[in-house]
Amino acid sequence: MEELRVENVFTAYDRADVLQDVSLTVERGTITCLLGSNGSGKTTLIRSILGLTPPRRGRILFGGRDLTGLQTHRIVAEGIACIPEGRKVFPRLTVVENLRLGAYLEEDARVIQQHLDRVFATFPRLAERRQQLAGTMSGGEQAMVSIGRGMMSAPKLLMVDEPSLGLSPLFVMENFAVIRRINQQGVTVFLVEQNVHQTLAIAHRGYVLSQGRVVAQGTASELLADEQVRAAYFGSGPPTGRPDGPRRNP
Amino acid sequence: MSASVIAQYVMNGAMLGMMYALVAVGFTLFFGVLDIIQFSHGDVVAAGAFAGLAAWTLLTAAGVAAPAVLLLAVVLSAIAVTALLGAVVARFIVLPVKGAPQLNVLLVTLMAGTVLRECLRLFYPGGSQPKLFPALLPTSGWDIGGFHLRFDNVILLVSGALLIAGTHLIITRSRLGLAIRAVAQDEETARTMGIDFRRVVLVTFALGSALAAFAGVIDGLYYNEVFFGMGLLLGVIGFAAAILGGLGNLYGAIVGGFLFAALQTIGAVALPFASAYKDVFAFGVVILLMAIRPTGLIGERASERV
Repeated sequence: MEELRVENVFTAYDRADVLQDVSLTVERGTITCLLGSNGSGKTTLIRSILGLTPPRRGRILFGGRDLTGLQTHRIVAEGIACIPEGRKVFPRLTVVENLRLGAYLEEDARVIQQHLDRVFATFPRLAERRQQLAGTMSGGEQAMVSIGRGMMSAPKLLMVDEPSLGLSPLFVMENFAVIRRINQQGVTVFLVEQNVHQTLAIAHRGYVLSQGRVVAQGTASELLADEQVRAAYFGSGPPTGRPDGPRRNP
Repeated sequence: MSASVIAQYVMNGAMLGMMYALVAVGFTLFFGVLDIIQFSHGDVVAAGAFAGLAAWTLLTAAGVAAPAVLLLAVVLSAIAVTALLGAVVARFIVLPVKGAPQLNVLLVTLMAGTVLRECLRLFYPGGSQPKLFPALLPTSGWDIGGFHLRFDNVILLVSGALLIAGTHLIITRSRLGLAIRAVAQDEETARTMGIDFRRVVLVTFALGSALAAFAGVIDGLYYNEVFFGMGLLLGVIGFAAAILGGLGNLYGAIVGGFLFAALQTIGAVALPFASAYKDVFAFGVVILLMAIRPTGLIGERASERV
């Protein structure tokens, strides 16, 4: 059953199309990844889904409901959370305030407390530093705040944009383990990454984006075996067709 | 100079400081959420004072004489009108030019302020002349030494302080305040938390303007007079106070407001030739302070910007 469906989306900043006819689906309960090099349009797709940069054409469906054209806060209210690129913690708010913002739409104080406890169980370090201003923390700790904040709304779909960016390998491993655990608790994950190997190690399915187009898709193992993925990832020239291997978009 | 005269000056300075602080908090809130200067803010204050005056005129004409009822009506109508005006300015003047250079926002709000000011002058009955503002508070008081501490001044100061404290609580403790601070720090990420950005902006403008309404009412009650152009100087001083304290910083605005009032008072007392130079002195010192501390007295780093 599909959770998220992106249908023929074109998104432009000013006039230049960054996304050109992007279509993909994220099945409920899976980790689906989107791989691509810098500037391939990955973050733009996240922004399109969130309504921050609304698509110029195409549709975005979530749980069968059309989100296209809705304002960001309405889209989020449907049950989508995002762990943004560069973590984007609120620097002059405390750890607890950052986390509470993640559950901004939740009215029930008991539910908020439960989610808070769950985040603190996942990241005991945050429990120790709940009153610290997030901007004064290390990159790895800020990543915990950002992930925790994404968990706070107990979303149906969690979109994670480049969790490995700027972090030490140890933190990257930990973060991927946490993302996998969140998924095992029933949250659908849409993971956007450059880091091919670690991403495909935890993802079920994936898509490859190059210059604003989906150039390959398949299961994680299919993508891992694909030369095409490497070509797209390293951005070496336009994709060339291959008879076998994973299915490609026309 | 006797202690009682000094006490009188201190009281007067405190009253001015409260007014300026209330206006400056608005500037700082608006700058916090939208990074803009709302230059019609002072004229919104004047409109609030006139709304209060109108409520008084209408009620007394209708035969209401109880001072408590009249006072409540004056304060509530001033707050309602300014909150609405603030939200209207945000919705129809500031938000449409969001994304334009800051100078453009400054220009359109400056023009909106002029329109508002001229509307007061032209459409309020007898609006081109200073209007008598009713004394609605008990003017009796205590005599302490030679100094007469008036009840009305104490009431105005205490209620002003309570309003500022209430605003502080809203900003630091409430869900709305959390949303305001989140929007101030990172608008886009705040929206992805489910915060309705537009609504937060409108509420912030309504809140900041309602605070200023109280400054307008204090002004009217203290001087027993309102004037269509009263918002001009009040706006410039509030803006200067907000900048002086460090724009975007709530405490800075309060400190800046009282500091400016202190400078004016010192100017009035200490300059031997004429107290008419008190504004020249105060603004001169502000310019000097800005040269020494370009980002304001309470720097961005050490402070928690709203």
